[in-house]
Amino acid sequence: MDVALDSLRFIDLTTTSIIFLFIVGFIGGLVSGFIGSGGAFVLTPGMMSLGVPGTVAVASNMCHKFPKALVGAIKRFRYGQVDIKLGLVMAVSAGVGVQFGIKLQRVILEKWGQSGSNLYVSLSFVAVLILVGGYVFYDAMTADKGGKPKAGTTLAQRLQKIELWPMMTFKTAGVRISMWFTVPVGFATGMLAATIAVGGFVGVPGMIYIIGCSGLVASATELVIAFVMGLGGTVNWAMHGMVDIRLTAIILAGSLLGVQLGAIGTTIVKESLIKFVMGAIMLIVAVSRALAVPKYLAELGLMEVDPGTVSLMDKASFLIMCAALLFGALIILGSMYKARKANAAEEEREAVVRV
Amino acid sequence: MAHEMTKKQAVVRVIGFGAASAAVFGTIFQFANPITEMFSRGGFYAAMPIATVFLVSYVHGSFASNLWTALGINAKQPAKTLQPTAAKRPEVRATLNA
Repeated sequence: MDVALDSLRFIDLTTTSIIFLFIVGFIGGLVSGFIGSGGAFVLTPGMMSLGVPGTVAVASNMCHKFPKALVGAIKRFRYGQVDIKLGLVMAVSAGVGVQFGIKLQRVILEKWGQSGSNLYVSLSFVAVLILVGGYVFYDAMTADKGGKPKAGTTLAQRLQKIELWPMMTFKTAGVRISMWFTVPVGFATGMLAATIAVGGFVGVPGMIYIIGCSGLVASATELVIAFVMGLGGTVNWAMHGMVDIRLTAIILAGSLLGVQLGAIGTTIVKESLIKFVMGAIMLIVAVSRALAVPKYLAELGLMEVDPGTVSLMDKASFLIMCAALLFGALIILGSMYKARKANAAEEEREAVVRV
Repeated sequence: MAHEMTKKQAVVRVIGFGAASAAVFGTIFQFANPITEMFSRGGFYAAMPIATVFLVSYVHGSFASNLWTALGINAKQPAKTLQPTAAKRPEVRATLNA
């Protein structure tokens, strides 16, 4: 018995599209397992470029995101890197942030239309990525050679000293901080997730620089947040019948392989590499999104741009986004290879000394 | 803490979970159209794609985990640092030097 699918919602799968989704799934999973988020920003436009309608692309992407995050979180929990309590507190506050973000989007959509909304999304993307990504990148570059963060009183240490009831203790993260500093980080994560679909770009730096977690704990805990939020989002989308299980299954086939490799990578390479990869990806994605801004300004009548140039910039924007993900993956794999080689050499030396 | 798996055990598990994973993916793509249509009916049918991805994450996730172990790509165990036990200082006792 064969059933004809609604061609408006579901595309015909070709070998090329299957290979494309599997590879992007693997690379996205690798980056997610390593920095806690990533992949989604390429997968949604990637699926849309194959002809998948926007809502189905978002829904199918989200349906692959939460099991991937679950598998990554379990793996990293075994390495002692996940703070479940922090993840759950952040996830609940992020849930509220998502609702606020959606309401804000609706207000902008009603007031300035689709182009205004797209412009708001792109500008938020560029501003957040340049500011936060730039700082993360700077911090990674100025870390000492062993990959340890700089000494000195940080913002997080100052905030931890403020005894503002109720105080929360996060054992794995080794942090005691007021709820009033924890919840806003989760809220901002959710708001960003509702706006640009990659909450982790605020969640992970927030957990590092405001709450005071290490890069390892922050990136691992982000997977708990991604799981909770992804599951909630998927229930919503699936109830509207928007999940294409074929797309989800193909991406999942690649991403479950990648996410475990990325998680293993965090135990092999030095800690500052997590910040380096995250900062670098954020800055490259910022360039990609900046290329989309003139198109929306033209649609709003605020700027004149040739349609040919707009189409070229659209293509360049997508390619740069893919390059960001690929760059992150290559750095992770290259560093893992180097670190494993160095470890093997060290073990060999130790064996010689013992003999 | 779970004991470390040997490469041989990992290979056996790769074969087992690999076969199970192939069966799950094979079923999804053998009946791709009816499954996709049924899973996208909305409402209570939403439970179906969610249950499926949980199943895939267990079966294919275990396959992936064991595959990396079988290939010798393992996490680096944190170096066991022995907590330096403070040497007990002899108690100060009053002694008589008689």
